[in-house]
Amino acid sequence: MHMADALLSPVVGGTYWAVSASLIGWSAKKISRESDGSKTVLMGVLGAFVFAAQMINFTIPGTGSSGHFGGGLLLAILLGPWRAFVTLASVLVIQALFFADGGLLALGCNIFNMAFFPAFIAWPFIYRTIAGNGASPARLAAGSITAASAGLLMGAMSVVLQTTLSAISDLPFGTFVLFMLPIHLAIGIVEGLVTWAVLTFVAKTEPSLLTGQCMPYKRGFIATALLVAAMVTGSMLSLFASTHPDGLEWSMAKTSGKTELPTPPETVHTLLASVQEQMAFLPGYDFRRQNNPGPGSVTPDSPVNPGTSISGLAGSLMVLMLSGSAGFLFKKRSSHTGGS
Amino acid sequence: MKERHLFSELESPACLLPVGDSTALLLLAMFVPFVLSVPKYDLAGVIAFAAIPSLFITAAGIPFTPIMKRLFIASPFILFMAAGNLLLDRAPFHSIFNLTITGGMVSATVIMTKTMVTLTALLSLLSCIPFHRFGKSLRSIGVPEVFVTQLLLVYRYSFLLSEEAGMMQKARDLRSFGGKGKGLIVTARLIGSLLIRTTSRAERIYMAMCARGFTAALHSRPAAPLTMKDKAALALSLVMFISLRLIF
Repeated sequence: MHMADALLSPVVGGTYWAVSASLIGWSAKKISRESDGSKTVLMGVLGAFVFAAQMINFTIPGTGSSGHFGGGLLLAILLGPWRAFVTLASVLVIQALFFADGGLLALGCNIFNMAFFPAFIAWPFIYRTIAGNGASPARLAAGSITAASAGLLMGAMSVVLQTTLSAISDLPFGTFVLFMLPIHLAIGIVEGLVTWAVLTFVAKTEPSLLTGQCMPYKRGFIATALLVAAMVTGSMLSLFASTHPDGLEWSMAKTSGKTELPTPPETVHTLLASVQEQMAFLPGYDFRRQNNPGPGSVTPDSPVNPGTSISGLAGSLMVLMLSGSAGFLFKKRSSHTGGS
Repeated sequence: MKERHLFSELESPACLLPVGDSTALLLLAMFVPFVLSVPKYDLAGVIAFAAIPSLFITAAGIPFTPIMKRLFIASPFILFMAAGNLLLDRAPFHSIFNLTITGGMVSATVIMTKTMVTLTALLSLLSCIPFHRFGKSLRSIGVPEVFVTQLLLVYRYSFLLSEEAGMMQKARDLRSFGGKGKGLIVTARLIGSLLIRTTSRAERIYMAMCARGFTAALHSRPAAPLTMKDKAALALSLVMFISLRLIF
């Protein structure tokens, strides 16, 4: 699933580089705060273990082909999200720089696709929810298979988005999705089965290895994982925002012939409309346009509109901040009323 | 065993670099976006950039065969994507001697050439930097100590564990008949066994490292700061890349 340099535009590649570098910096900060030398060595050796385990091929039942273990989810289970992310990122750096898997610019995308999703989404939100403490074999199997498949599917979907945004390949979005997702679902199921079998074997042979895996959720971790997911979703998926009218606009167009009703001529309406127009910094989900656009400006026909993307990103952040502030206010108020 | 020599050529550099390692990495980080910024149908633009790694390889006398082998291994996904362009974009782009060249042919060739150019530059440059120097140069450009320690440890122990995994796989294959015994569950047990051995090895390594004064990171000394020569090389290269991009 390695993304390749030649399929990326410098802007998309650079953006993912920035996101992945920030995540590495954040995880490194978390790890250095713990200052646990034994875990530092364990991370290094487990990174080498992933390399080694990938060399052992197995026959995939019913296909006659062979596959190998990926190891992302297993590392997240053994090490927790930050350490697993840094370990997976280090493996990907060595693969990229010394084995030409992907390339230098694609490294940011590859770290995001193959380390962020298993470490920060699949393990905390899917595996732990389903598998719990791993005591039930059925729940362990379901958690492993679901989390491994979901992690791989999110990574594969991200590859499709990055390729489409870069506009180098001519493969249509739908065709590429239909090609990538079923294959990665199958790979994910096999990965999940191997992870489950390895965990079962380890639980029987050396159960102490799996005891440290159930650390409690921390509010900061959940908020950051959701923030990154919201930012990526807002900025990337908004590029595919439909230019067609929404349901309300559609029904208005059917009844009145116009998607927006004209502003009534009263002074209050005109004044408020003018204030709104002045205050909205991204009117109509786009950059504010000058009357005489410059020669380098994006034409309305361009399939990729950075204004829409920035609007999505800004919208996500504003909703996040507003809901956070509202929650904070409610908390204050309820604690105040509770105390009185 | 082939896998035993995964990193063997990285231990002794293939050439001596005229600039510092950090500068070389920064040059590479500048070069790749310039190549990738060449438009989809601009074959001449990519070929112009190919001059730089080819000049570097020939001048430094770096063996090209190992690089070609790795490019070959890395190419299936790129080949698939390039084939997609070839099949989907059939609009006539140019005509030579009554032979119509489609847009897909050009864009597919550009994708393949970009891959060749960027990966050749990457592999040839890094074949000149041994791994411990690579770690040092990463520190000097601000990569966190935790991550550099991690890279150095992964690199160090990949040799040992790859050898161990290779032996386990060979032992399994020798005991399997007609494909039986190579299935998922048996392999998962092998991987589990390798994991247990790995973690106990990590404990022994940690104790040995503690005895030698290890705390939580390797604390590699950062490489020397950029000299005037390095800065001049960066500026000159930037001018050259911009010129290539504007002229071709």
